[in-house]
Amino acid sequence: MAQNYEKLKKKPVGKMIAYGIASVGLYAALLLNQSSITALFTRGAWYAALPIATAFAISFIHGGFTSYFWSVLGVEATKKSLRTRPEEKRSYDRERPQPQPRLRARV
Amino acid sequence: MHNIPFEAANFIDLNLMNILYLFIVGFIGGLVSGFIGSGGAFVLTPAMMSLGVPGLVAVASNMCHKFPKALVGAIKRAKYGQVDVKLGIIFGIFAEAGVFYGANIQEKIKAAFGDAGSNLYVSVAFVLVLAVVGGLVLRDAVRTYRSGNADAEEKVAQLAQWVQSINIPGTMVYFKSLKARVSVLFIIPLGFATGMLAATIAVGGFIGVPSMIYVLGAPSLMGSATELVVAFVMGLGGSFKYALHGLVDIRLAGIILAGSLFGIQLGAIGTTYVKPFVIKLVMGVIMVIVLFSRGLMVPVYLSQLGLIQTLTDTTVKILKNTSFAIMAFALLTGAFIVLQAMYKGHKAERQMAEKEAMEIA
Repeated sequence: MAQNYEKLKKKPVGKMIAYGIASVGLYAALLLNQSSITALFTRGAWYAALPIATAFAISFIHGGFTSYFWSVLGVEATKKSLRTRPEEKRSYDRERPQPQPRLRARV
Repeated sequence: MHNIPFEAANFIDLNLMNILYLFIVGFIGGLVSGFIGSGGAFVLTPAMMSLGVPGLVAVASNMCHKFPKALVGAIKRAKYGQVDVKLGIIFGIFAEAGVFYGANIQEKIKAAFGDAGSNLYVSVAFVLVLAVVGGLVLRDAVRTYRSGNADAEEKVAQLAQWVQSINIPGTMVYFKSLKARVSVLFIIPLGFATGMLAATIAVGGFIGVPSMIYVLGAPSLMGSATELVVAFVMGLGGSFKYALHGLVDIRLAGIILAGSLFGIQLGAIGTTYVKPFVIKLVMGVIMVIVLFSRGLMVPVYLSQLGLIQTLTDTTVKILKNTSFAIMAFALLTGAFIVLQAMYKGHKAERQMAEKEAMEIA
């Protein structure tokens, strides 16, 4: 029981809920006011910044929510991928051709 | 783009079914994009058009969902050390130039030959690129699998070795993904071609990722992750261009993003569970299946241009529906391979952890 609680405590449930509420709010605002938003966002010129800014906002808020969502479900990257790997040389099929110094003599 | 207000006025009404449909297509597209760096977008434009969204609005909204998705995917994969930001930005700048040039060519073809001419050009580009590049990528993936060295570190291709050995003073830049210095002059045509393909078929990554792997010498994981940076740079510029003309339907972009951000996180996580050749396998399989999808449409456009015998309406309808179904099948197949590989990797890791725990006990 205590172990389960510890497990749950480690998971970012609070962050997921906070981002989830923000995400729902953002989408609700977008879909409930769709006609006025569409009219404003499609005026062109400087209004072009509005859909771009909204897309950034969605990527931050909903992107945060989806990330925490998978973490809470336990779907996370394999641990070995998060270990720091030392710089290692790549292997090659054959020896890399080295640039040869050339001497050009003019007679 | 001159009749833009007319196009913009045609924004569709959204109902629950439309929203669910776009969410699911977005999720599957995001899953594939998170895994191979691109490839999910090609089905979204036709999917939106099937709901009655005008072509240009569908392209613009697709573009506007692509750059935030790529941003989220790139950040996620950067956490796993898979992204080469420098290569992505340099590649992306030249790709952006390619996007504008490609769009310009598209407009000229459309003006000269109409919609059928433009569609034929897109389909022929699809078929040629996917046949050559997709065939090579798939062959390489199958060879690696059969060689029994699937676990071994990827070898740098001979072409990439040659590219890395060329020293052009004043143009050399060190890239961490290549662990080598490469002349920017090699990146210019690759980026440009990626952008041109993105402007033509909406998926520049079908050239971008293989060129990073086979021409520059990046490992598959880093090539596919860095493509997300390229997609972000390309998508941001392209979206702004379309938004300036009022063509972006932010509702469509937002709904697709709602699904695709779930998918891209999952796809990015999936890359940490698989062997590098699986990335090539998924990419190759999708490319080859899509090739057939677009190939089916060539006779339709040839017939519309009067270059072959006119096809009946029923035949055209059958070919169009089959083409879309094959495209959706390509995406689903890719998603299936990703999920299956993830499941196997997750299971293997869990068994390993249990074994270690048993040994300690």
